[in-house]
Amino acid sequence: MDFPENLPDMGRLEQIVSHFFPKALHIILDSRIPSLQSRVGVRSRDRPNLKKSDKWFNLVMGDRPAALEKLHSWHRNVLDSMIIDIILIHPNHDDETVIERWVVQYENPLIMSPQSSDPRYQKVYKKAIILLRSLHAQTRLLPAYRASRQLSSSLASSSSSGYEMVYKVSSFSDVFSPPVTETMKEFRFTPVEVPPGRLCVSVTYRSDLSDFNLGAHITLPPRIITDYVGSPATDPMRFFPSPGQSFEGASFQGRRRPPLTTERPHSWSSGFQRPPTPNQSFSPQFSPDFFHSSRTDGGYGYGGDSHHQLSPPFSPSGSPSTPRRISVRPGTAPVTIPSSATFNRYVSSSSNFSEPSRNPLPPFSPKSTRRSPSSQDSLPGIALYKSSRSGESPSGGLMNHYPGHKLTKDSKYDSGRFSGLLSSSGSPRFGFSRSPSRLSSQDDLDDPDCSCPFDFDDVDESGLQYSQSLDRRKTSSSISQSLPIGRKSQDAAVGVLVQMLKTAPPLRQDSSTYMASMSGVQREGTESEFSMARSTSDALEELRNYKQLKDLLLSKSKSFGGETRVH
Amino acid sequence: MNCEVCHLKELEVESFEIREVLRCILHTIVFHRALGLIRPKDIDLELFDITYVQCGEIEVEKKIDETIEHFISWIEKHPNKKSQICVSFYEVKSKQPSWFNNKQRSYWEQWYVNLNVLHQTKSPSHHSKLVMDTGVIYMFCGNPTTVEASEERSSRRTMLEQSLQEVLFHIIKFVNEKKDHVPPINDGVIYCPFEITMPSSSDSTFGMDILKRMLHSGGHPSMLS
Repeated sequence: MDFPENLPDMGRLEQIVSHFFPKALHIILDSRIPSLQSRVGVRSRDRPNLKKSDKWFNLVMGDRPAALEKLHSWHRNVLDSMIIDIILIHPNHDDETVIERWVVQYENPLIMSPQSSDPRYQKVYKKAIILLRSLHAQTRLLPAYRASRQLSSSLASSSSSGYEMVYKVSSFSDVFSPPVTETMKEFRFTPVEVPPGRLCVSVTYRSDLSDFNLGAHITLPPRIITDYVGSPATDPMRFFPSPGQSFEGASFQGRRRPPLTTERPHSWSSGFQRPPTPNQSFSPQFSPDFFHSSRTDGGYGYGGDSHHQLSPPFSPSGSPSTPRRISVRPGTAPVTIPSSATFNRYVSSSSNFSEPSRNPLPPFSPKSTRRSPSSQDSLPGIALYKSSRSGESPSGGLMNHYPGHKLTKDSKYDSGRFSGLLSSSGSPRFGFSRSPSRLSSQDDLDDPDCSCPFDFDDVDESGLQYSQSLDRRKTSSSISQSLPIGRKSQDAAVGVLVQMLKTAPPLRQDSSTYMASMSGVQREGTESEFSMARSTSDALEELRNYKQLKDLLLSKSKSFGGETRVH
Repeated sequence: MNCEVCHLKELEVESFEIREVLRCILHTIVFHRALGLIRPKDIDLELFDITYVQCGEIEVEKKIDETIEHFISWIEKHPNKKSQICVSFYEVKSKQPSWFNNKQRSYWEQWYVNLNVLHQTKSPSHHSKLVMDTGVIYMFCGNPTTVEASEERSSRRTMLEQSLQEVLFHIIKFVNEKKDHVPPINDGVIYCPFEITMPSSSDSTFGMDILKRMLHSGGHPSMLS
């Protein structure tokens, strides 16, 4: 801490004392009251605009909440003690119990002999730093810390215990009634002599909070599963409902999951045992305790965020003991993005799921999606992923946010299905535009900050096999509108192509024959539905258009050094 | 300058608990000696219901993790031995050139972490899975265990958790009681330099460590004979 040079030592000592109180208050309440915790993303030791108040005692706690600022301004006389009570209250039972009492005070200077203390402020400051370090560590070891975590983790489930943890800061205290003091223990930090007095911190706390029944799950010892049947890593899409309970829960904006059969609960399905409230989304994997182990920065997990009203199939990839999470926006709950390997498993085992919300996995690469073109799982994942990103404009289609990549050719991810997802989610944060002109005008594809799950170079002819319905008029018009050669980006061209393929009427069921026609071989006969409905000249004209498009794409890819396989 | 020494209570741990226990203790010690500008980091142990604080410095984390890995490999070679890890904080002072180096380390604090690593009688035939869910750890071993063995393991783990908490309280108490010997904070220095050594109950290694310490403190060459 940079003390002003012209300030005499006594002035600096006074500063140490006056700043000690708010710092101690911040440390204590930060560990007990979740609403007073600083945001994780804001705190950084290396931030150039770190507040001076945060640098005091070399302990960066983050921005002090307004409530703490008010408390600090209230405590102006350093000779007044600061008494911080941590209280558990139960509104229904009208029950209040002080589980902790912290006392921070600057003891009467008349008691201290001035000769017994070293007046050098550097030494005093060093000792005050050590005291606050130990205070910080101590707050994590006392039972109230666990209780606070339990209560905050149970907030998502409407606080099953009913208790709330509140604080009270005062400068005097009522003496504890005898029954209470018997259960309390005391710990006194060694005072730091700050001439002419000394800084003292002590805590009286309840060592046993089991009477309050705040939550059983954290205190359970590890159990050994003798009939362990699998893990999310091996069989991620399999449900393992809780035993003796058929469960129906609202999972995604009112959408219901099918009732679960009575089977042994899986290790990651403990949340199934909690019956959700009718209007509550059920997401057991996203209980904050689930991420208990991966929490390293003081921040709590999340719960109840409207972005993450996810059904259980949105499981983290890999081992459930190490869930990956990606925090994409400060203040929002993180979304787990599985790896492409896990995605492949999800995609291949999608037969049990027909609802888009069940498999909200983004299509990473057309290579992975190509294996199971019938999968209907990937777009919902994009929807959820994108909805949690900050600054996303609702305009534009997927290509708007995935630069340098091509859309998958799996045309089953058509907009009709996708819009159904949007309506069910109720969060129109983005849309899949069907307008070719809109797609073609999106040069945001070059935005390097966006991570695109699509690989533009992996456009595959298999996607063309999907185009069972071709609308010649739409195709030709869209090409003329959206592909002025030399002006629009390659990605826009591919998007237009996909759009055309999706809207095109079906040709024939034999895709290989269709492919032969695309390569220039004239189709004969009138076997296909297309030939029944349209004349040969129309078909030839369409073929010509496709050839033009192909040439365009090839020229573009050559110029960019890429390789396309559009046929 | 006097060197304050703190001997921590001996903990009985199983091999898979070493990493967590040591990380918790070592980081707690270093956190109280990282007196520069830091951003504390709360870490929840997976095996125990304990949260400890790290100073947030990557170098510290790396150093501690390397030490723990060395310790674990040493334990694997010397099973069933009581072991001790020593964390020594020192100051580097430039003195008159001696036979060995012109910079001397002046140790001002030492912490002795005592561990008794229990030999694992049953090795699981398959890998053990640690699955965490809502704060409860499920551990699956290849061989099913009896109810008695699991209860015994559970009680042992509860006791270890309590002992580990006592150790952490002891650290906090020690750093509070003794502050005068801590050297002044230098500008730009985040944490007091320290080293971690692993003297064991065997004399040879311990003797080498003592010798090393003497050399660093600028001991007289005649002491080597």
